[in-house]
Amino acid sequence: MTVKSANEKLGQGVGFERIRRITGYLVGTMDKWNDAKRAEERDRVKHTMNGHA
Amino acid sequence: MTQHIVFEAGSRLPFPQNTKKVETAAMIHSIIKRDGRVVLYEQNKIAAAILRSMEASHDGDAADAARVANDVQRELESRFASQSPNIEAIQDMVEAQLMNHGFNAAAKAYILYRANRTRAREANTSLMKTIDEITNIDARHSDMKRDNANIDGNTAMGSMLQIGSAGAKAYNEMYLLRPEHAKAYREGDIHIHDFDFYSLTTTCCQIDILKLFHGGFSTGHGYLREPNSIQSYAALAAIAIQSNQNDQHGGQSIPNFDYGMAEGVAKTYRKAFGRRLRDAVEDYLDLSDEDSAIHAIIAAAEEATGETAKLESSEAYLSQVAQGLCRQYNLSQDMARKLITRASVRSCKKTDRDTKQAMEGFVHNLNTMHSRAGAQTPFSSINYGTDTSPEGRMVIRNILLALDEGLGHGETCIFPIHIFKVKEGVNYNEEDPNYDLFRLSCRVSAKRLFPNYTFLDSPFNLQYYVPGRPETEVATMGCRTRVMGNVHDPSRQIAYSRGNLSFTSINLPRLAIESHGDEKVFYEKLQAALELVAQQLLDRFEIQAGKHVYNFPFLMGQGIWLDSENLTLQDDLREVLKHGTLSIGFIGLAETLTSLYGQHHGQSETMEQKGLEIVGFMRDFCDKKSQEMKMNFTLLATPAEGLAGRFIRMDQKRYGKIPGITDREYYTNSFHIPVWYPISVYDKIRLEAPYHALCNAGHISYVELDGDTARNVEAFESVVRCMHDFGIGYGSINHPVDRDPVCGYVGVIGDACPRCGRREGEQIPAERVDELRKLYPQMPAFQGIQ
Repeated sequence: MTVKSANEKLGQGVGFERIRRITGYLVGTMDKWNDAKRAEERDRVKHTMNGHA
Repeated sequence: MTQHIVFEAGSRLPFPQNTKKVETAAMIHSIIKRDGRVVLYEQNKIAAAILRSMEASHDGDAADAARVANDVQRELESRFASQSPNIEAIQDMVEAQLMNHGFNAAAKAYILYRANRTRAREANTSLMKTIDEITNIDARHSDMKRDNANIDGNTAMGSMLQIGSAGAKAYNEMYLLRPEHAKAYREGDIHIHDFDFYSLTTTCCQIDILKLFHGGFSTGHGYLREPNSIQSYAALAAIAIQSNQNDQHGGQSIPNFDYGMAEGVAKTYRKAFGRRLRDAVEDYLDLSDEDSAIHAIIAAAEEATGETAKLESSEAYLSQVAQGLCRQYNLSQDMARKLITRASVRSCKKTDRDTKQAMEGFVHNLNTMHSRAGAQTPFSSINYGTDTSPEGRMVIRNILLALDEGLGHGETCIFPIHIFKVKEGVNYNEEDPNYDLFRLSCRVSAKRLFPNYTFLDSPFNLQYYVPGRPETEVATMGCRTRVMGNVHDPSRQIAYSRGNLSFTSINLPRLAIESHGDEKVFYEKLQAALELVAQQLLDRFEIQAGKHVYNFPFLMGQGIWLDSENLTLQDDLREVLKHGTLSIGFIGLAETLTSLYGQHHGQSETMEQKGLEIVGFMRDFCDKKSQEMKMNFTLLATPAEGLAGRFIRMDQKRYGKIPGITDREYYTNSFHIPVWYPISVYDKIRLEAPYHALCNAGHISYVELDGDTARNVEAFESVVRCMHDFGIGYGSINHPVDRDPVCGYVGVIGDACPRCGRREGEQIPAERVDELRKLYPQMPAFQGIQ
């Protein structure tokens, strides 16, 4: 373990991981997806629980 | 004067190279090739090409060829004098002269030959361009390199894989496809999946892990004994998936993960019980070295009852052990029972710990092990949920807990796909023995997106189900592939040891667009497309059927595939492969309906019917073809990862952006209601379920939940139950799973992380991370490089 100095900061340039499902599979981060699937993911709308279930 | 070249009738190519150089008065000395090089003119080359066309079409002989060639030369001399003609001009003249001489069939053959050569040249050029792109362009900027999200197109091995794939595709299209199939594929009427593997192998297999383990197996790199503990069962299961993946181009699945691993749990428990009992006796009686005495007592009990120590041992077995202890150590019945109970409790704990570790190891292995030249982790799936034995239940609980924990830094595991088999009487109802595990699966899936669910009570699955025979439970290859019915051998309608051979998808929206709203025309086109694809699948099967056991050392050599254990190394695979499926897929039902009728199947009841008619028509075709050929033609709801974009890009070029049809960047998956269409969970499931019954080669429905609903386990479970009750075959629930690598938070992250408050790319004080760690002890250490 390194001793942290008082003003040490973490996370510069580190993004969030966003995991989504393509076929039945999950894909770790979306930057590996092809353009069509990225567009599809972007367009997905949430389904509402109204009325039933 | 021109020199006439005289051929003997019926002479064969290649032509003799010593034919005299042409010497003429007004003469053509040289010609210009396509690449601009100037080379010596040789009339015999022209004659040779002409003869080739004549022979191919049985229209003319060598003397005819020479005559035509002479006329071509005469015309060249008159038109070009001493200038150099180019290749295209010469070929135009050959065509014209063949027609002039009345060799119409030969002229047609010559034109076809020219067209083919042109295509080959273009293929070569485009192959080189493709390789250039693979070599020089960052995958982030190359859609082609991201075609399969599981291959890292930036690595050396990933690039080599893509170059090989590009070369194989070019070859397969030129040499293996019939011209009409090549055209349909090239122009986007159909898509031949895994086309790079066209001549090499089949898609996937459900590995019966128990059958493989019994007696041990060989990976091709060494022999492995039958495993003896849950740790080695789990390790070998991962190796089996990896080994088989090298023999096939698709995914690998274990249909009986719980039943299979349960045996390993039982072996671990039996060993642990012996040791713990010895420890208990030694401690109580202050003895040492009681190993062999205890061993003898246990052996006698096993001999007398035919049973071993189990998580829930039988009373007969326990009483035999107790009697043995009483005799050996002069113990009271009471004390013997006390020692046995102590040993049982401790063995149980130990076995549970070992199982948990084994499951964690399995998940880690499958997320880190490489196959296929180091670029991919194996596409792997495991099915479980129905084994109600205490050992099987221990496996299910621990694999779910391992999934729940995630990887080393709490990351969500990408592999394997977990598939929970839901069955009334087993785990669906509150009073069912595995209901607690079903509940646990909901909790885990609400956090980690897995497991997905397969529903054994849906009628098209239930028809195969025989209680007590797990091989009759439908299992899924994670992407969706389903193999159950078997017209080749109706006595073997099972999930184990079978898989898909190949599949090809139809561009359904294009058929609709080209039918201009005429339903009758559409169905005619659809029928023709189905026939074309069926023939192409059979052509591919011919290539596959001619392979030998030695081409698939693991899949066939180790008896993974059904009946392959009865073959020898040199045998071909025709008969055993018939247990597999040939699948016809489709994409874009929603756009198809919109094109034909103006609305998709989410928008009206009439369209619900129309959609089912189209897909029912395709299923009918598959059933008839199956009966006709006695092979398993099945209908697939295509998992369109790369295809969704490929088809629509081509159709946009052809037809422009037609509203509701070609105006997005992707066609809608198979029979799905479009992802952008607002609809309730209930309606989405209700509308898509009937297609699960029709698409017998595989299907999946997704429901998209927001993060808060998904994390409400009651709500989550109610969605799964809704799927069950509507007769969905295979379903999963999507919800956002985000992770901040700095503080380890997993959940929904909007602009800012709810735990540490940082935004994407921002830094936070290390002290703050330390404070958070006190609040969240499970928080992984941030490594700096993620």
